[in-house]
Parts: sequence; structure tokens; C-alpha cells
Amino acid sequence: MGVLRVAAVQASYVLMDRDATIGRVAELTAAAARQGAQLVVFPEVFVPGTPIWIDTRPIWDGDEDWYALLADNAVVIPGQAADQLTAIAAEHQVWLVIGVDEREPHGGTIYNTVLYFTPGGELAGRHRKLMPTGSERTVWGMGDGSTLPVVDTGLGRVGGLTCWENYMPLARFYLYAQGIDVWLAPTLAVGDGWISTMRHLARENRMYVIGVNPVLHTDQIPAGFPGGDRLVPAAHLEASGPWLEEGNTVIVAPDGTVIAGPVRRREETLIADLDLRQVTVQRRHLDPVGHYHRPDIFRLHVDTSPRPVITQTVIGGTDEHRANGEPASSNP
Amino acid sequence: MGPVKVAAVQATPVLADRDATIGKVIALAETAAADGARLVAFPEAFVPGYPDWVWRTKPWDATATALYARLLDQAVVVGSPATDLLAETARRLGIWLCTGADERDENGSTVYNTLLCFAPDGTLAARHRKLMPTGAERLVWGTGDGSTLTVTDTGFGRLGGLICWENYMPLARAALYARGIDIYLAPTWDNSDVWVPTLRHIAREGRCYVIGVTACIRATDLPGDLPGRADLYGGPEDWLSCGNSMIVAPDGEILAGPLTGEDGIVYAEIDAGAARTARQQFDPAGHYSRSDILRLTVDTTPRTAASFRCDGPGRPTSQQSEAG
Repeated sequence: MGVLRVAAVQASYVLMDRDATIGRVAELTAAAARQGAQLVVFPEVFVPGTPIWIDTRPIWDGDEDWYALLADNAVVIPGQAADQLTAIAAEHQVWLVIGVDEREPHGGTIYNTVLYFTPGGELAGRHRKLMPTGSERTVWGMGDGSTLPVVDTGLGRVGGLTCWENYMPLARFYLYAQGIDVWLAPTLAVGDGWISTMRHLARENRMYVIGVNPVLHTDQIPAGFPGGDRLVPAAHLEASGPWLEEGNTVIVAPDGTVIAGPVRRREETLIADLDLRQVTVQRRHLDPVGHYHRPDIFRLHVDTSPRPVITQTVIGGTDEHRANGEPASSNP
Repeated sequence: MGPVKVAAVQATPVLADRDATIGKVIALAETAAADGARLVAFPEAFVPGYPDWVWRTKPWDATATALYARLLDQAVVVGSPATDLLAETARRLGIWLCTGADERDENGSTVYNTLLCFAPDGTLAARHRKLMPTGAERLVWGTGDGSTLTVTDTGFGRLGGLICWENYMPLARAALYARGIDIYLAPTWDNSDVWVPTLRHIAREGRCYVIGVTACIRATDLPGDLPGRADLYGGPEDWLSCGNSMIVAPDGEILAGPLTGEDGIVYAEIDAGAARTARQQFDPAGHYSRSDILRLTVDTTPRTAASFRCDGPGRPTSQQSEAG
């Protein structure tokens, strides 16, 4: 076990502009790689950003065009945007982990997804958030149990959950059980309460924790944004202030001490060297899936089946039948 | 449901002296009740104290063995005069009285780290044996079974809890959330700074009130006749625990404490209705669970050392045994 240099990138996206935001990803990844980072982590749904209108206005209050804009700028896998992110990871020889608004090629539902790209230019993992929070449920669908990966980087096993999904004890336990050294928590969550959670998680599984947030000021809403005058009503601005994303990026050691951050209200890439041996050292004290577990009392069953929209069965037919739209039947 | 006052009592036990420590529990419970507390919580293994020496002795050496003998002798047996006195105190004061105890079976030689909750009617409403001791604690405490992971209705909220690092067991916490816990007790010996974010996290994760309660004791508080006293312990600067008691709201904000470096009673007003309302935002056992993917099974069967069965009318003789 060696030392892993990580970069947690707290940055601003270009709201609902996929190509411009990927340009920022390229530039910020290059800068992190110049500092020797081997793992570069970006925030939740960084490409093309947070659908901020869900928290500034009532739901369905004339927000359909913004939703369509989000769908247009969402990341489709495989697709050009995914290829660009793959190329960025390969060019800089880093593990690139990034949150995206993702959709199926012909889909009208957006998923809150984290993608893991290898330095060799492959997509090694994809996690769709299992449960969106509050108003998020009006823009994002739910992932299934098939996308809860832990990825072996060769320099530590890496995985994690997105934002308040980090409060799901059973989901965390499933990832712990897969053996995880570095926990990634892309998030939008602000405040000290969230930092408590990052510290608790580190101590609960004796692992490094990297929480990564975006930062965005109302001044950064692009000029000419469609319906921009309605996006952040004056009453919201007065109640919540001008920071749409305040930032909260933090890196925590396996004993729960904060190594870097939290950084707020500015762009900054936190760099830290993670001594992975400390994970094993700390599990001498506590191992929630080993000597501190009680499998005789607690059994966790995890259904990791992919759940596609439909399951199609063709009996005695060929693909042509399906293409012609003949009904599939499971009855003989 | 309405707000009620609760108390976390940070106090010093008379280590390995059951009756003297129960005397302190009674006096402090009286104070808290007089201040209006409806629920009064004491620290982990408070009666007759946390066996701190497990961290200072070599396993099984003569001193450690002598100390175990003392602990065994002074441990609390449920249904004995010691628990009768605690139950009577809860009844007399009309409070929920919750305390950690070094507990053993009447004829048992293993000590358990147990949380006892006495109801205002004087019944023992809950007994939880810690499922897994930590590190050197494993040399003096056994492990509880799943039968004691209960949550009890107090009339002002559903009450339960876990002990010390058991709070780092995600599945044990999930079990309590699924039982609808509103008031989460976390008696502990952990007096580190990092314990504070853990209690704040649990409050946010369960959207419940968390009452953390820790003993406060230094070497000069120890009885003079404690085996190994002079070799193992120093003077007033030698803290066994400096305390860490606090009460946290369901949004993770600290309502009172953490209190360190002194005895004292930490009070807060809590309202279980507010905790339940907070679950509109997050409910780990409801709208934010994914029970289609993640299914937890908890075995709550009591696990005794043996089950005795006799099919005949009385005690079998050796002759009957031979007859088969």
C-alpha cells in the first residue's frame, strides 16, 4: 500500500452548458495533474450543473423549458461527452471521477450519476444515485442496485455515494463490505452538519473521505440564460443570499480528523497525499464489516440486478419480429 | 406530543463500588428530577464504573485478574436489590431513569456492558447488552444478542440507544431507525473530539434527538483499595475520562454541551413531534430507504448458553439415562 495523491476540485460549472463545462473539466484536471494528482474528483452533477430552479421556485411553475435544456445538455453513455471525459483522463493519466446529469440515449428522465474513468481511458464504473432528495425527485430518477461499484485503482479501492445518499446506512454498509479505502462523496450539501457526516463516515469505516462540492454565485448565471430573470426570484435571493452553491469541499483521514478544507465561497482544488496504510492501521481499532460486525444478528441482502425498463422475451422468433413491433410474449 | 426536558448526567462513579455509585445515581436523579427532567440518562457502565484498567494492564496478569474479580463481585444483577433500588427511584421521582451497568446473570461469571431503562411506573422497560465490546474491553465483557435491540414508547417519544462504539455499527443503527426511534441514547466512554461529529451525524441520519453521556473521572477519584491503584494510576492530572456529554437536535445542531473537564447535568428541551416532522426531509426507514435493493434482517432471538428440555415427569436418573 502506497501513497495516493488526490485532488478534490471545488469549482463552478457553466450552468446547463455541457460543452463549456467539459472545457472547465479539462482545464481543472490539467492543473491538478500538474500538481501530481493521481485521482481527480469533481462535484455532484458538475456536467452541466445543478438544476437550481428546483429550489428557487415552486415545482412545475413554468420550469419545463429549463428541464428540456437540462435534457439537451445531459450526458449520454456512450456519447460524445463521455468520450471527451475519457480523453481528459487519458491525456493526463489520472483517475477521473465526476458527477453528471445523465440520461439514456432516447430517455426523458435524468439520472444523478457519478462516472469513474481510468488513466487508460476507460469507463470503469458508473453509479446512479439511488434516491434523490426532496425537490430533486422532480428532476432525477432513481438508480438500481447494479451501480454500486467499488473500483480498484491499483492505488487503493475507491467508491462512494452521492450527497444525502451518504445518510443511507445500508447502502454504505454494502460498499464497506466490498472493501473500500477512499470514499468519494460528491455533494451539494453545505454547512457544518455535513462536515460532521464526512468525519463520521471516515471513522465508521476507517477510510479516507473526500467530499466535493461545486461553488456558484448568482453573478455566474450565464448572460442570456433562457428565462434568466425568473431563475432566482428576489425573495429567494433575500432569504438565501447570492451563493447558489456555497461549497464545502473537505478531505478527512481514517481517524476522523480533517486533513484539508472545508473550503467555501471560492474555487479551490484541495490536494492531499493519502497514506493508504493508515486504513489498515485504523481497522485494528474498528472494522464494521469484520471484527466489529455481528453477522449472526444482522444480515444484509442486496439485490444488485439491473432493472431495465422492460424485460423482453422472444419465443421462437428473431430480432426481426421485434423490429417489426410484434408483441413479445412469455407464454408458449 | 409537546416538549419535555431531558438530562444527561456527567458524573464520577465510585469505581468498582456498586452501592456507593448507586447512591450517587439516586442523588443526581433527584436533582435532575427537581429541575424538571422527565428522562435522566447516566453514562456507559456507570454502575459501578467503566473498567478503564483494561487499557492499562497486560491481559490476564495478576492485577488485571484481581480487578476482574472485583468487577464481577460488584456487577449488577437484574432482579437484585440493586435494580430494585433503581426501579424504586424511577417510580418515586416519576422519571425515565436510564443507566449503563456492568451486568451479569445471577449465576454467571461473564460481565456484560448493559444499558438499563426504568420507567416511571418502576418497571425495567428495556435492557440492552452491548453487541460488541471494543479492543481491550473484549477481555472483560461478553457480547449481547439481538433480543435487546428494542425501542420503547415513553409517551413523549420512542426511546432506545446503543453504547459507545456500537454506534459505529450501521446495521444496528438501521434496526433502531426501523423501530421508529425518536430519542437516541448514546452512553459512551469516548471523550475524543471526533465523537462529537459522530453524534451529530447520527442525529441527522436518524432525524432523532441524540443524548450522549460520558463519565468524568480522574485518578484521584479512585478508591484507595482498588487493586493496582498505585501502579496503574497517577494524580489529578491523570484523567480516565474528561467527559463529553451533549444533546443534539434532529438537524444535527448541538442543543447543549459538550461538557468536558467537570461533572454536571446537561439539559435540553426535546420534542419528538419535531423529530418526526424533520423526517419529511430525510427518513432512513421510509421514503429514503430502498427496501427493494437493501433488505436488512435482524435476528432478535434470545441466545442463552443452553436450552434445557425434559420430556419426562421429573429429574432423570442415571438408570433412565442408560435406558435411553
